[in-house]
Amino acid sequence: MDKLLQALLNGLLLGGFYGVMVLGFSIIWGVMGVINLAHGEFLMMGAYMAWALFRAFGLDPFASLVIVMPVMFIVGYLLQRLILNRVIERPHLMALLVTFGISISIANIYKVVYTASPRNVPVSYNGSVELFGLTFPIVKTLVFFVALSMMFILHLFLQRTRLGKSIRAAAQNKNAARIVGIEIDRVYAITAGICIALTGAAGAMLSPTQAIFPFMGAPFTLKAFTITALGGLGRIPGALLGGIILGMTEVLVATFVPGIGTNLGVAVSFVLLVVMLIVRPQGLLSGLRPMEEVE
Amino acid sequence: MNIWQRMASWRGLIGWLILVTLLALYPYTGLSGSQLFTLSQVFVLVTLASNWNLIGGMTGYVDFGHAVFFGIGAYTMGILVTPVEMAFSPHLTFWQALPFAGITAALFALVIGLPTLRLKGPYFSIAMLGTFVAMREIIRIAAPITGGGKGLDLPPVLDRISDYYFTLALMGFVVAFIWWIRRSEFGATLIAIREDEVGAEMRGINTTQHKIIAFVTAAFFTGLVGGFWAWQNTYIDPDVVFIESRTVEMVMMSMLGGLGTVWGPPLGAVVLYFMRDILWANLLDYHLISLGVLLIVLVLFMPEGILGTLGDRSSTSLLHLWRRERHPSPSNQDSGGNT
Repeated sequence: MDKLLQALLNGLLLGGFYGVMVLGFSIIWGVMGVINLAHGEFLMMGAYMAWALFRAFGLDPFASLVIVMPVMFIVGYLLQRLILNRVIERPHLMALLVTFGISISIANIYKVVYTASPRNVPVSYNGSVELFGLTFPIVKTLVFFVALSMMFILHLFLQRTRLGKSIRAAAQNKNAARIVGIEIDRVYAITAGICIALTGAAGAMLSPTQAIFPFMGAPFTLKAFTITALGGLGRIPGALLGGIILGMTEVLVATFVPGIGTNLGVAVSFVLLVVMLIVRPQGLLSGLRPMEEVE
Repeated sequence: MNIWQRMASWRGLIGWLILVTLLALYPYTGLSGSQLFTLSQVFVLVTLASNWNLIGGMTGYVDFGHAVFFGIGAYTMGILVTPVEMAFSPHLTFWQALPFAGITAALFALVIGLPTLRLKGPYFSIAMLGTFVAMREIIRIAAPITGGGKGLDLPPVLDRISDYYFTLALMGFVVAFIWWIRRSEFGATLIAIREDEVGAEMRGINTTQHKIIAFVTAAFFTGLVGGFWAWQNTYIDPDVVFIESRTVEMVMMSMLGGLGTVWGPPLGAVVLYFMRDILWANLLDYHLISLGVLLIVLVLFMPEGILGTLGDRSSTSLLHLWRRERHPSPSNQDSGGNT
């Protein structure tokens, strides 16, 4: 029983992280209809940035968010302006191919610059606390709460501010948004900036808990896709729900099925994805737009 | 310039058969073993690119994990012929095992394709990427049969000349087959699915069935190539078989030559091979970077590949699709169109 509760707790904590990790992917898809296959690589960039800041200045990964997020925002903004904007109106195949190219380029540039050897961010508080008979890993619990507050702030931003509203308008009907005077290109670029900044932040927060290497991204792209398929496009509650489902499934499988390595998380999420696509292709909650319409 | 247009008729096939015949006679001019090896590698790439094009280019379902069929073919071959005693090792010969390499890959494609090909393109693309990554881990875990991370040894062969003729025959057949498909009603249906899937469905075409047939066919031949490769390489492990760059190269070659055309992927494969050989031979680390950058540049400035940019702009190219859906203010794209 304790083992089960502990597994559920770990799954929940992992799910909170997945929730914030997936937002960038899910919103870019929901708003622009672009499936960003380089998602995992932006996460990896954030993680490397946190590692570099930690090594050079001893900066805490959570404190480094102050630097990581603005830098990644600029990366996302430029990405949209220079590349994605040119493929948005074309068949989805082109966007897939171009982000695939971006993904390969970034991963291999990092391999050349930082070599393939794994890096670590050994923070001093990387222990755990016993509470109510359960073990709370400190870093992961912190990540969970930071992730929840980020989601909450983003939710307020999208619902309450003028810019947030124009992002939602652009997602719902691009032409109508254009008619009422929303500068679509600018809104898209800001959306991409926010999304990549969130992804980089997720990478920075991941850095104390996992080895960082240039090819760590691909499984995260796949997981992001699974979670989006579970939770619906561009929806924050959906991202959190999908993240928790995937997190719990992964942890439960790892805990109760013997002889399976940690790498099988990818296989688990793949099975979940296929099942989900067969049973309920529109996602558990309805998203910014129905998934079938996206092309 | 119009030579490409004329190639769309029977001349294409005749020209291809003449080329294959010439290549079959080529070793009699006294080629060295390494030259034969180089050429047979090019033939393998052409075969892979043409197969990928069948599902990725013609049907428009971008397969980011097609190398999984290569891997399954390679591992089927490895398991069936390895002289090492594993949990399951029937010790077949190359020719006995070869059909199984293709058949296993085709069956696997059927199992994967049935759920994923019912859905729209992006789901399929990601599901295949996932299949690829997951399969590498599954092979690693199934160590009693597959040897796990230690890999499998195959009986050594040093017969370059039969490698050459086998790859040439397979390439000759596959490209001719794709040529035939492109002319047939089946091929026209595949193109129709790419251009307007809902429209095709409304005309009573069973699109899922067509997609699955194309997918399984492509997987079958890719599995054969994988089986052959395992034999030629005499050693397989999850990392050399399931290597990302193999899928990337299949995508790149088709894209470079011209998606959905018959002669584009073979041309792309040859160009890419020699570009890799000449330009990047000494810059191994930069190889994949340049592939990625090249892919971005191709999509942005040359979405139809070499063939599409040079000639035939009517039948099979993506250009009119692009034109139709293009941004209303195309000035910035036109400037880069001919670079």
